[in-house]
Amino acid sequence: MSNKRRLWQIFGPVLCAFILLLVVFLIPWEKTFSKQTIYEAAASQNTTVFKGSTMKQEAFDEGYVPFYGSSELSRFDPLHPSIIAEKYQRNYRPFLLGGPGSQSLAQFLGMQGTVKQLRNKKAVVIISPQWFTKRGQDPNAFALYYSPLQACNFLLSAKNNVADRYAAKRFLEMPDVKGEIKNSFKQIAEGKKLTTFQKFYLENRRQMLRNEDNFFSSFQLRDRVNKIHQRAKILPSAYSVKALNRVAKEQAEMHTNSNNLGIDNTFYRTRLSKKVLKRLKGSQRNFDYVHSVEYGDFQLMLEQFAKQHTNVLFIIPPINGKWMKYTGLSSKMYQESVAKMEHQLTSQGFENIADLSRRGSEKYFMEDTIHLGWRGWVAVDQAVRPFMKQPNERYNYDLSNYYFSKKWQNKDNVKRINLTDKERLKAK
Amino acid sequence: MNFNFINLQPYSNPQYFIYLMIALVPIIVGLYFGHRLKTYEAVFSLVFLFLIFDGSHWQQGVNLLIWLVYEFALTFGYQYYRHHGKNKTWVFCLAVILAIIPLVAVKYLTAFPDNSIGFVIGFLGISYVTFKTVQVIMEMRDGAIKQVDPITYARFLLFFPTISSGPIDRYRRFKKDYDKVPTRDAYITDLQYAVRYLFQGFLYKFVIGWFFGTYWLPKISAAALAVGNANGGLKLSWWVLAYMYCYSMYLFFDFAGYSLFAVSISYFMGIHTPMNFNMPFISKNIKDFWNRWHMTLSFWFRDYIYMRFTFFAMKKKLFKKRIRLSQVSYFLLFLIMGFWHGLTWYYIVYGIFHASAICINDMWLRFKRKHRKQIPHNKFTKWFAIFLTFNVVCFSFLIFSGFLSQLWFGWK
Repeated sequence: MSNKRRLWQIFGPVLCAFILLLVVFLIPWEKTFSKQTIYEAAASQNTTVFKGSTMKQEAFDEGYVPFYGSSELSRFDPLHPSIIAEKYQRNYRPFLLGGPGSQSLAQFLGMQGTVKQLRNKKAVVIISPQWFTKRGQDPNAFALYYSPLQACNFLLSAKNNVADRYAAKRFLEMPDVKGEIKNSFKQIAEGKKLTTFQKFYLENRRQMLRNEDNFFSSFQLRDRVNKIHQRAKILPSAYSVKALNRVAKEQAEMHTNSNNLGIDNTFYRTRLSKKVLKRLKGSQRNFDYVHSVEYGDFQLMLEQFAKQHTNVLFIIPPINGKWMKYTGLSSKMYQESVAKMEHQLTSQGFENIADLSRRGSEKYFMEDTIHLGWRGWVAVDQAVRPFMKQPNERYNYDLSNYYFSKKWQNKDNVKRINLTDKERLKAK
Repeated sequence: MNFNFINLQPYSNPQYFIYLMIALVPIIVGLYFGHRLKTYEAVFSLVFLFLIFDGSHWQQGVNLLIWLVYEFALTFGYQYYRHHGKNKTWVFCLAVILAIIPLVAVKYLTAFPDNSIGFVIGFLGISYVTFKTVQVIMEMRDGAIKQVDPITYARFLLFFPTISSGPIDRYRRFKKDYDKVPTRDAYITDLQYAVRYLFQGFLYKFVIGWFFGTYWLPKISAAALAVGNANGGLKLSWWVLAYMYCYSMYLFFDFAGYSLFAVSISYFMGIHTPMNFNMPFISKNIKDFWNRWHMTLSFWFRDYIYMRFTFFAMKKKLFKKRIRLSQVSYFLLFLIMGFWHGLTWYYIVYGIFHASAICINDMWLRFKRKHRKQIPHNKFTKWFAIFLTFNVVCFSFLIFSGFLSQLWFGWK
């Protein structure tokens, strides 16, 4: 046998394999997930689900409502929104999106694939004031939630306006944005159109990533189904806030008896060793959530909701009062940041706000340091329940580019708005 | 400042293979046309070593350099001593002890919880390079290696396809390959194996190994812990059995896949790094198993611990009975292997378990030899032996996995 022929026999199949792979990846495959898979995915908080599209699209078409949030979503005590919705056969099921470090910018990117599915529908956002640090989105955490698929979606529908230019600039600051996607972001940030090659590249890349999403996003879901079923049994069979609060108290008493900070025992044991506690004492005295790029990133989320005409309920949680005292975090500063968020929301027409920010000292309201739990979840449900009873409608918002500006990001002394005065809110 | 180093852990993702294959092209073309591009190979190896040990792993890189200087001084010091025609046992013993001290220190220090030591110790693959050094010193003592060439020695120790987890090559074998250029015909055959091993490795590590290790194992583990804690007592359930098989499969496919990559890349470079696995799950007894499982390691232990000790003990007449001698040697070998894996109870129990298994196997073989007529030998007994060996091995891997520790004591 000639050498050429032998080489062909060795490398030919490799070549064919690569061509075949390319073909398989570029064919548009359709996929529908089973009801069970969607159910698992909704409670899983998996980053693959967060980054993907198909699973979310299918879920939102079937009555799941996105709950955008972060680490509090994983506080799966029996009063967790997913469990309450299951137990009382609500007309919605929460689809949990987010985890530790998924701040506004990551959330905004994750929302790109479901524009159509959320049009004129509902969504819930649990805002963490902790996102609103000076630099906003933590670049390392962003790496966890960065989805090239959603980046392609964003780029291929980006327009030359303040919001999209701002978004592109912010994405360029994240280290995981690379290659041709990075170049495309640069074009958008500079107000230029994508080149023909970039469009071609992004279209094909998107197809590949869509297929990847279709093929693999149902793998490795974090299975919380049993947890949901088991914990649902603990809840009272007839819904009443009083009964729920009683169960919340019982559960919380049992799970926080190792410390006098009202912190969940496991959390206290694993995350707050003596050394850590010592280090944290008084350490947050100078924390500042008032001056932050996050306000601009948060505006991106609002842009997205406005584009989709989605009806949104915003929940602003408090911080565990005892913990706040321990770390020295300023309550005045915290309330100031909340006032600023509420101003940004209401002035643009987002009026469904459940402001729980002052309730951190209520017993059993928080599961640990900064995360809602037990009675906090009951309070959340008191806002979610009536909200979900409203019919789906097209909501129009009145957005202002002012909220992308450095001036707004650094503004202080924003006046608190009285949320109960619906007439005054309307008049604005 | 935010430095974004590219850091590539060997064989960890598709990207690594793409970079690697591109960098290999000149070497492949060179060898095909009868040239070994030694300088290019050196630069290329250094770049890939740098990529393993840069960025957040830089302390490991520094440790590697210190280790290298130390072992070089030791090896060439010993060579200087041997070239003066001297061969005292105590000098030899001292050299071997000094050679393994860094490894022993690393093993000892890493046995403590992470936060008790303020600095990074050791580096990825310290075991394997230490084995290589010890082997060179031992063969210098025997006179099998007359002259160690510093450059070849450095290339041998730092041969990057195998640096992180073996297979463990031998100096003389490596030098023979490295000094010559294969004929075109032979090299094409090398390429054929290289491609085959590479794809077999993909299948093993990234497909089969992934399913066992990343997909099923966490689920089984969670179930075993949940059911076990509910049951109480010894916390056993069928899930533990499932864990045992799943983990065993994962261990094999992951490690065999990794070894295949290392062998494949070596073949591309015209170096015949020895294979590490030879269908271990069809072993007919434990001894056979160790001739098929992590072969380069078990052969190293056989040649440099078991055999050395056996000769030493025979010369000194430490044991009257040969059988007793081999039993003690086995326990020594497997205990050292256990300690080498780490200073936790389950690695040591794993060692004792295998030593016992191999001794029992020896007893059975002697019994069988004496009663050859009464004991049947047919297809069924052959398959039964394989089945039994497989389960004994899987059970040993259950111990090795540390899962029992997690189940019973809540730590691993």
